[in-house]
Amino acid sequence: MSVVAFVVIAFMLTAYVMLDGYDLGVAAIAPFVAKSDEERAAAVASIGPFWNGNEVWLIAAGGALFALFPQAYASSFSGFYLPLMVVLWLLMFRGIAMELRGHLQSELWHSFWDAAFTGSSVLLIVVFGVALGNLVRGLPLDANGYFQGTFAYLLNPYALVVGVFAIAALSLHGATWLGWAARGPIAARGATLAHRLWWPVLALYLVVSGMTFLVRGMPGGASGLLVMPIVSLAALAACWFFARSGAPRRAFAASSVFVASLVATAAWTMFPYLLPSYPAGHGGLSIYAAAPSPVALISALVVTIVGIAIVILYATFVLGKMLPKMRAGE
Amino acid sequence: MDVVVADRLQFAFTIMFHYLFPIGTMGLAPFVAWYTIKSLRNNDEDAARAARFWTKIFAVNFAIGVVSGIPMEFQFGTNWAAFSQRTGGVIGQPLAMEGVYAFFLESVFLGILLYGKRVVSPKLFAASSVCVWFGAWLSGYFITATDAWMQHPVGYAVAANGRMEMTNLWAVLSSGYAVWQFLHVMCGAMVAGGFIVAGIGAYYLLARRDESHGREFVQAGSIVALIFAMMTIFPTGDRNSADVTRYQPVKLAAMEGLFQTTHGAPLAIIGMPDVQQRRLIDPIIVPDVLSFLAYGNFNANVDGLNAYATELWPPVELTYYAYHIMVGLGTIFVALAGIAVLLLLWRRHIFRSRWMLWLLMLVMPFPYIANEAGWVTTEVGRQPWIVYGIMKTAQATSANVNAGETLFTLIGFAGMYFILGVLFLVLVLREIGLGPAHESEGPVHSIAGVS
Repeated sequence: MSVVAFVVIAFMLTAYVMLDGYDLGVAAIAPFVAKSDEERAAAVASIGPFWNGNEVWLIAAGGALFALFPQAYASSFSGFYLPLMVVLWLLMFRGIAMELRGHLQSELWHSFWDAAFTGSSVLLIVVFGVALGNLVRGLPLDANGYFQGTFAYLLNPYALVVGVFAIAALSLHGATWLGWAARGPIAARGATLAHRLWWPVLALYLVVSGMTFLVRGMPGGASGLLVMPIVSLAALAACWFFARSGAPRRAFAASSVFVASLVATAAWTMFPYLLPSYPAGHGGLSIYAAAPSPVALISALVVTIVGIAIVILYATFVLGKMLPKMRAGE
Repeated sequence: MDVVVADRLQFAFTIMFHYLFPIGTMGLAPFVAWYTIKSLRNNDEDAARAARFWTKIFAVNFAIGVVSGIPMEFQFGTNWAAFSQRTGGVIGQPLAMEGVYAFFLESVFLGILLYGKRVVSPKLFAASSVCVWFGAWLSGYFITATDAWMQHPVGYAVAANGRMEMTNLWAVLSSGYAVWQFLHVMCGAMVAGGFIVAGIGAYYLLARRDESHGREFVQAGSIVALIFAMMTIFPTGDRNSADVTRYQPVKLAAMEGLFQTTHGAPLAIIGMPDVQQRRLIDPIIVPDVLSFLAYGNFNANVDGLNAYATELWPPVELTYYAYHIMVGLGTIFVALAGIAVLLLLWRRHIFRSRWMLWLLMLVMPFPYIANEAGWVTTEVGRQPWIVYGIMKTAQATSANVNAGETLFTLIGFAGMYFILGVLFLVLVLREIGLGPAHESEGPVHSIAGVS
């Protein structure tokens, strides 16, 4: 049961990174693809109706973590008090920047909020990347799973490289989104940028993978984990192929699979720990220690899984109805 | 500063700011659905514009509600780790259900409403408005049920390690405490929604613009405000009082400022509690009425604060004032909405009586105050418990977060929410300034309706 609960949390976080990932990515690359004031407005407009809904996945994942692993929820959230608060403020500031920019017809006003939007989004990506890197690498924890290190400890080389990789991967993701969902010159520039970003993303992927092996060691036993790099690389290759052959929808889909596979790989690497301790492979807060009683866990799981299934059903239905017409510009 | 005080201040500040926006979404969602369905049934252009107008105002409330809601959920873990660890097995579930069942519903179908009618069939468009309404209220249900569990815990067992585990989810979600508290909260939100609609309509009539919409809004808003203002008092308010009387008699004593146990206890209409002297200063009382309200008998015995050890008292002044503000405003709302509806019935006189329109416009902030005061009554009145009778608030904080850190982040939130509040006002005032007559069919390019 605890394993299923772990998969549910990983799934929800993966959905969050995949969905909020493209709007963060669009913000990160906006200065490069949008040259004029109108183009920057168009880049923001392409994600305007969606960013808020995408953030709902973060709320839902937080709620699910609370219900399924209260111990991990309590120790990780209070253990990383200040970094988490910074994340919250950045999330808010980013929303404010997006929504305020259109309210004055002044280029100076627009430039300021565009810069704030890009800056806060890039910072968020880095923070998320560094957090994920540290989770994979392991953290110094006490017996109850409380973080024992300092802020500077979190900025180790491995985590920083993951942070840089996160910028590259989500920029690619955002570029394929613009290539598909935007219209006019920024769509074309998005597609071109996706091309240019492809090689750095591949290179960083290989570097991060190599470093992960150094940090974590080879996965022991008959690990299915080695399937994941094949999925990631196949998705990345598909992204290249579709981007070249002028199939922006498929390129975005491939990029989504790539981003999702990265988060899934990280989660699989951590399994069965929610907070692995450093050096890796030496315990931590595991899903078995962190879960509530089986009865509570089963009821929480059934309720959560049924709920997610319903969400996916109607969200797919709604998007299937809306997207074709939105593309047609109606 | 004490760490518990700092954590409580931060939670109080962030939740009271956040709650301003759910009041708007829960109170306006039925109006959005009503105008949307009306416009589709009769192909009514005026109703279509009204629907778009309220959808946009709803969307601004929803967006800021989401943004200010994320810290709420995070704070259980960041500032109240001991509480989360011990009770997460129970309250984590309704909170997770809010995200998965209600929040997605609201956000996905709001997307359809914002993008516009032409994208989907009229039937799906109408269904979307109902889904948004349902999602908003369901969200309120899960949150209220969570709070009701903290007021009156049911459906749980205590495990060997001291943690509380859910044994019966249905018991938690369907407890009488939760159901009546939810209905009371919804009535409160609808009073706010009614007065917002009526107040903005009154503004249009006073400003002599968008007048057909203005008349429609004043009419619909006043009627809704009257119906739900009456229902906040009876049956929902009455049933909430009964639950407090039964399960939390010391909270009742603090709410009413009753220091001494009394037969035939009086109801204090006005007065200032003096906790040192244990009496009300300058009270205006109605004899025997509290006994009747609490037990249905003018002579019944009502426990005063003196029946309990002082360490079990909630902060008396805050509970007392908050409760009296809520009840006082609630009574005024019934009177005001009642007069408005009478003027409406009397040959539509209300559209010409400028004093009444002024009152309707100026009353708009007060339902917010009444809603917040109600929550202060129930939450502050629950002290010193975080889970009533089981866990003290003082034992609930995070061991490794100190008062200074929380004070720092509290000040940070204050700054961030100041900007958020300004943004909200700018967006809503802009929408009101443009007016419903300005609405057209095109898609909305961002949450706030600005491209």
